[in-house]
Amino acid sequence: MLIQYLLFTNMIRPMAQKNSPSEHIEHLRDCLSKVAIQRDKAAFSILFDHYAPLLRSYSLVREPGAELIADELAQEVMIRVWLKAGSYNSQLANINTWIFTLARNCRIDYFRRNGRFVSEIDPTEIFNDMEDEGPSPFQLTHQARLEENIRTGLEQLPREQSEILTKVYLEGKSHQQTSEELKLPLGTVKSRVRLAVNKLKVLVER
Amino acid sequence: MDTIKNHPADELLVSYSAASLPLSQALCISTHLDNCAECTQKLRRLNQVGSELMHQLKPSPPSSSLKDQLLDRLDSITENDETNRHNPGNTSIPRCLHQFIKTGYEDISWNRISRDIQSYELCRDQNNAKVELLRIRPGGTSSTHTHMGDEYTVILEGSFSDEEGLYHKGDFLLRDARHKHTPVATRDKYCICLAVTEAPIQLTGFFGRLLNPFIRRSYA
Repeated sequence: MLIQYLLFTNMIRPMAQKNSPSEHIEHLRDCLSKVAIQRDKAAFSILFDHYAPLLRSYSLVREPGAELIADELAQEVMIRVWLKAGSYNSQLANINTWIFTLARNCRIDYFRRNGRFVSEIDPTEIFNDMEDEGPSPFQLTHQARLEENIRTGLEQLPREQSEILTKVYLEGKSHQQTSEELKLPLGTVKSRVRLAVNKLKVLVER
Repeated sequence: MDTIKNHPADELLVSYSAASLPLSQALCISTHLDNCAECTQKLRRLNQVGSELMHQLKPSPPSSSLKDQLLDRLDSITENDETNRHNPGNTSIPRCLHQFIKTGYEDISWNRISRDIQSYELCRDQNNAKVELLRIRPGGTSSTHTHMGDEYTVILEGSFSDEEGLYHKGDFLLRDARHKHTPVATRDKYCICLAVTEAPIQLTGFFGRLLNPFIRRSYA
C-alpha cells in the first residue's frame, strides 16, 4: 500500500513539472478535487509538494530564520486544505488565491494565538468569509486577463512601489510600520500603495 | 446596497486584503464589506495581488519528514467547527460582530453617555483602540468633537448626518484629527454605529472641554 502510494506520487510529479503553468494549475486543481471527493492522499501529497515550500517562504519573509514557525504554518495551511477541500469550488475559484487567503488567515491566527499581538478580537470571524467562495461567474470570464494584468503589472512596478506592496502583503506590515521602516512619511506610503494598485488596474471597473 | 457612497480608501482595502492592519480596523472594513458588493469585488481582486506576490517568492522546501508527519496525522484530524462558533439567530448583525453580539442590538445593556447617546464597549485592540457601538436616538446629536487619533465609523442601522454629508447603513467613515464634526441622527429612527477610536476624542464645545479629563480617564 505504502509502496504503491510512493510510486504513484513519484510518477506524477515529473509529469506535472513538464507542463505549462496553466496546465500545472489545472493539474493542482484536479488534485484538490481528488482530495475533496476521494480523500486521495497521493493527490494531497502533490499539493503539499507544490504549496508547502511557498507557504514556508510566506512565513519566513515575515519571520526571517524562524524555520519552526514556517513548518508549523505550512502544516496548518495544508491541514485546512485537507479539511476544506470540499468547500472549495474548483469550477469557479483560482486555487492559488484560495491558498493565499488560507495562508493569510492562518498566519494572523497563529500570531494572535502565540501572543505576538494582544487583541480581544477574533480574526477568524473577520477574514474567514473568502475561504468558502469563489468569484462570481461574471468575474470568471475576466479571470485570465486579470491574472495576466496583475503578473505583468507587478513586473513593471517601480521598485519604490513594489517594495511597499511586499512590506504590506508579505511582511504583514501596517502603513505605520512601513513608514517607520522605510523612513517615509505616512502619506507617502499610502499614496504609493494607491499608485501601485492603480498601475495594476485591479480596481478598475469593467 | 446602492445607497452606499462612502467606502474605505483603496490603500485600506489593500491592508485588509493583506491582513496587515489592526484587527479593530479590519473589523470595521469587514462590517462594511458585509453591506458592500462593490468593495467585496475589489477585495477579491486584491487577494489575487497578494496571491501573485506570494507565488513569486522563492520556494523554501521543508525537510522531507514534514510531509510524512502530516500524512501520518491526516486520518486523525477532524474539523473543530470554527464556522459556527458564534452563531446568533439574528442575521441583520454583520458576521464579524457575532463574536460580540449574541442576539440583537436591543438586548445589549447600553450605557448612557448623554441624553441622546448610548454606548456599549465591545473590546480594546492592541493599539488600545476602543471598539464600541454607539446608539444615537432619533434626531439626537453628539457633542461637536475632534479626534486626537483616527476614528473609524460604520453605520449598522439608521442614518446620521454631519457637516460633510448624510450617511446610511453600510457607509464607512474615517475621520482624523483634522476633522471637527457634529453627527446628528435622522429623525425617523435610532442610529446604531460601530466606532473604533484610536485615541481619546477631544470635545471642543465649552461643556465638552470640561468633560475632556473624564473622557481621557475612561481610556486609562
